[in-house]
Amino acid sequence: MGNLRKIFGMAVFTAMLAGGLYAGASAQDAPSEPAEPTDCFESRDGYSSVTREEVDGKTNVKCSKETGGVLWWGDPYYGTEAMGEMPVPADYSREEAVVKPRTTQLRYYMPCTQCHNGSMVPYPKNKKPRELAMHQDIVPDSMDLQHGRGAIWCLDCHNPRNRNTFIDHNGGEISLNQPQKLCGKCHGEVYSDWRDGIHGKRIGQWTKGGKKRWWVCTECHNPHMVQTKRFQPIKPEKAPALPKGMKNANHERHGEHKSEGSAEKTGH
Amino acid sequence: MRHKIQFAIDFVTYAVRGGPKFYLWMLGLGFFILLMSYGAFRQFTEGMIVTNYNDQVSWGLYEAQFVFLVGVAAAAVTVVFPSYVYHHKKLKEIVVLGEMLAIAAVFMVIIFIMFHMGRPDRLWHLLPVIGIFNWPNSMLTWDVLVLNGYLGLNAVCGFYYLYKRYSGQEVNKSFYMPLVYISIVWALSIHTVTAFLINTMPSRPMWFHSMMPIKFISTAFAAGPSMIIIAFLVIRKNTKLKIADEAIELLAQIVTWCLGIAIFLTIAEVVTELYPSTEHSFSLKYLMFGMHGLTGLVAWYWSSIVLMISAFILLLTPRFRKDHRFFLPLACAMTFAGIWIDKGMGLVVPAFIPTPIGELSEYTPSWIEIINSLGGWASGLFLFTLLVKGAVGVLLGDLKNGGEWEPIVISEESKEESYRG
Amino acid sequence: MSDDKKKPEETAVQGPKEATRRGFLRDAGTLTAATIAGAAALVTQTDEAEAKASWAEWFQKNYRLMTDEEKKESVERLEKRYSEEYGKATTVDSSPAMEGVLFGYALNIQKCIGCRRCVHACVKENNQSRNNPEIQWIRVVKMEKGNFTTENMDKGYPKDYGIQVGGNAYENAGVTLEGEHYYTPEEVPEKGSFYFPMQCMQCEKPPCVKVCPVRTTYREPDGIVVIDYNWCIGCRMCISACPYWARRFNWGEPNLPQEDMNPVTHYLGNRPRMKGVAEKCTFCLQRTRKGRYTACVEVCPVGARKFGNLLDPESEVRKILEKKRVFRLKADLNTYPKFFYFID
Repeated sequence: MGNLRKIFGMAVFTAMLAGGLYAGASAQDAPSEPAEPTDCFESRDGYSSVTREEVDGKTNVKCSKETGGVLWWGDPYYGTEAMGEMPVPADYSREEAVVKPRTTQLRYYMPCTQCHNGSMVPYPKNKKPRELAMHQDIVPDSMDLQHGRGAIWCLDCHNPRNRNTFIDHNGGEISLNQPQKLCGKCHGEVYSDWRDGIHGKRIGQWTKGGKKRWWVCTECHNPHMVQTKRFQPIKPEKAPALPKGMKNANHERHGEHKSEGSAEKTGH
Repeated sequence: MRHKIQFAIDFVTYAVRGGPKFYLWMLGLGFFILLMSYGAFRQFTEGMIVTNYNDQVSWGLYEAQFVFLVGVAAAAVTVVFPSYVYHHKKLKEIVVLGEMLAIAAVFMVIIFIMFHMGRPDRLWHLLPVIGIFNWPNSMLTWDVLVLNGYLGLNAVCGFYYLYKRYSGQEVNKSFYMPLVYISIVWALSIHTVTAFLINTMPSRPMWFHSMMPIKFISTAFAAGPSMIIIAFLVIRKNTKLKIADEAIELLAQIVTWCLGIAIFLTIAEVVTELYPSTEHSFSLKYLMFGMHGLTGLVAWYWSSIVLMISAFILLLTPRFRKDHRFFLPLACAMTFAGIWIDKGMGLVVPAFIPTPIGELSEYTPSWIEIINSLGGWASGLFLFTLLVKGAVGVLLGDLKNGGEWEPIVISEESKEESYRG
Repeated sequence: MSDDKKKPEETAVQGPKEATRRGFLRDAGTLTAATIAGAAALVTQTDEAEAKASWAEWFQKNYRLMTDEEKKESVERLEKRYSEEYGKATTVDSSPAMEGVLFGYALNIQKCIGCRRCVHACVKENNQSRNNPEIQWIRVVKMEKGNFTTENMDKGYPKDYGIQVGGNAYENAGVTLEGEHYYTPEEVPEKGSFYFPMQCMQCEKPPCVKVCPVRTTYREPDGIVVIDYNWCIGCRMCISACPYWARRFNWGEPNLPQEDMNPVTHYLGNRPRMKGVAEKCTFCLQRTRKGRYTACVEVCPVGARKFGNLLDPESEVRKILEKKRVFRLKADLNTYPKFFYFID
């Protein structure tokens, strides 16, 4: 009887041990889910990004584990500054507008005048297109700048005397954080739509005069490669779960004649 | 009052006693009811996740039974109407059996509604005064009204008649006849409203046509009497109750013509939908031929068509229709099965495929759904058997308390001669 | 009900469970016994409180018919229950519709790239069940622009009837019922495709409201079609009646992990649901009634989603109606959606 009990006890112990080992092993085998990223892109990968943070126990953004993009805005004004004067052509006088400074997001801003100060890099004499010595990663072929299809060149936008700014039609300076004022020089209709909130993106308060963060032009568009790659394609978020009982969605791809995969150029 | 209680006691005691065949039948039904109680427990505790319903196909096997059984309930009128409007003597003698079927069918309808509900515990929200009854806006509230009203009408008519017979008294015609006429119209209304319940939703183009009520009624008046004929044949085989050939013959004719109309309406629908073949005919196309490799309902559809058409041909041929031994019950069973498919898996499910925004998916009932549905039917048949058995007892004169009504009995000897089956 | 008056934060920090356990420790003799019995007491205590709360919830009236006092009571009860259940201070707002506001939505169909970020933003905001069932209120459907080639000229319908052969590529192009719902390319947008997101349109003549037998779903003055989840009987008439497939059903008890739960909720909006009830997009009314944009508008990377007050001529939706070509989905059904699609 005693023996039996001992054997039984041993068996139980062994089983538990084996079970424990197995559980441990399977826990290791299980693919670990990717953690929620802390550095998330806002609209397009490679343009504005935001750092996920807890502020007063609340998270400023939630991000996608799949793609690394922002999925949810807790604090829509995180890291923004006042847009500056924003006249509203409406029956209310003031619209509280903020933007995210572009200068903190730019790859080569240290600031520009660090080098483009007239002595280290001399000021250009005129606006005539010429081969660039630097920044070919931004503009690969400066003699064939596609923006405006040859009608304009770098210095129609970049201020030759103060490279930390853009330049307007009258030679006045435009902040790098307010590119809409520059782009609006030519793209008047889009600018007007943007001002009405139809084009582009605003987050925060929808209310009349409510505080909004405005996305500025260069947070979505890259002016230097606008003809070749208007937008950066992005990875889509997960597809919904299939309806119960469905094994696949092959029936949807009945007319599979389209080119597979992505598109370099999209017909927007 | 004591008299009425005595009637109830006598009725129940008579109904639950029977021979070995009876007990075996009830035991068999009991088995399915037991299975259902497990399924119901799972569904009511875990929710409808135990079914294979989903956001794409949000109605399924339960609603199919619901729609079909409302038709069966309404079909009691095929017995009541000829009896009281055309004074068909032979049918009038046994009219109460039709009412018993209506009661059992509505009982099943209620069971399937309970399974249909996501929150059966909150059904009280429907009650006027303590809840909100969105009448007349919601078609569902109309359905609640007509179904409950129909249950009440049939229970009152049926049991009033049985009670009067039991006590050997004459029925009070000024009380009884208006109820009968109301119940005739009401029977049409329950199935019409059920048709309105689903055909008033343009979101489901397959349902969205004005032919739905008449198709519902014609199919119901084919499937319902089929079941009644089979029940009659079983009753007269196993009891001394005299169910005349004329009664069965009349019901068989009703089945024939209603089935014919149903087939005609089906053809009309198919032509109307498939000739222009718009996006709105996707559901019907999916049902008939499948779409993009999804063919889950195709076999169901065509088997239903084959069943209905062959049953119609059998019924049209007098030789077969009058063969109460084999061909009539066969044709009735085929009609019943064909319409059960046509109104169930062939009507409820495909309307959800594709979804209003074009998503195709397929639905197959889960095991829980199947056992719950079988159990729902078993419960209904259980009740039907008891009701019919008690009613037959009264008609036979086995159950009586004074007075003299002539029992509708046929002697064993004459049974062979006068019945064709 | 005095307990319920506590702020949710307090409840979360020191709930009634704690107090009971400590009381028990003092009275009971040995540590072991106290641990076991304490655990038992803890369980029964919670069950009792929970049972009491759900009992009260079960008996409560339809939200629309509640007095302010009853609404307050119900909201506090929910705050307490959610705070305990999800381990964080949860607020249940009951703000009514704002004066002079009629919500409208506009979506630039030309801009949408089909990235589905709106779908997932919505889930993060609105406390949908994450799996089994997975519930998402927005569905993005991929549509084809069509592919017309000379090779296909002789193919297609109706080739066998001798009526017309050739000159017929028979392709789906544009908005049709044969889109793709489960597309998973490496990158979007894909060449030759465009995308069509759909969600609740907040119809002015909503078929779902008409068919509801218990009026648990109804239109608020700001135009939002809402659902009192506690009053829904789960008959799914609304799901069948919706021509936009906007409604979802909690087939089982929703699975919402504690850490994913958004504690800022509204009674008629994103508060956690229970099994057996319908739900759908409410234009994030917990946010929008506080002046904030919806979660989907804020996350859209291309700014295709626009939202505002239809009664304000300066609002972005009104500007769109004024300046752009707009259409409503399935306009033939006369549901008058307040969700507009537009093109530049």
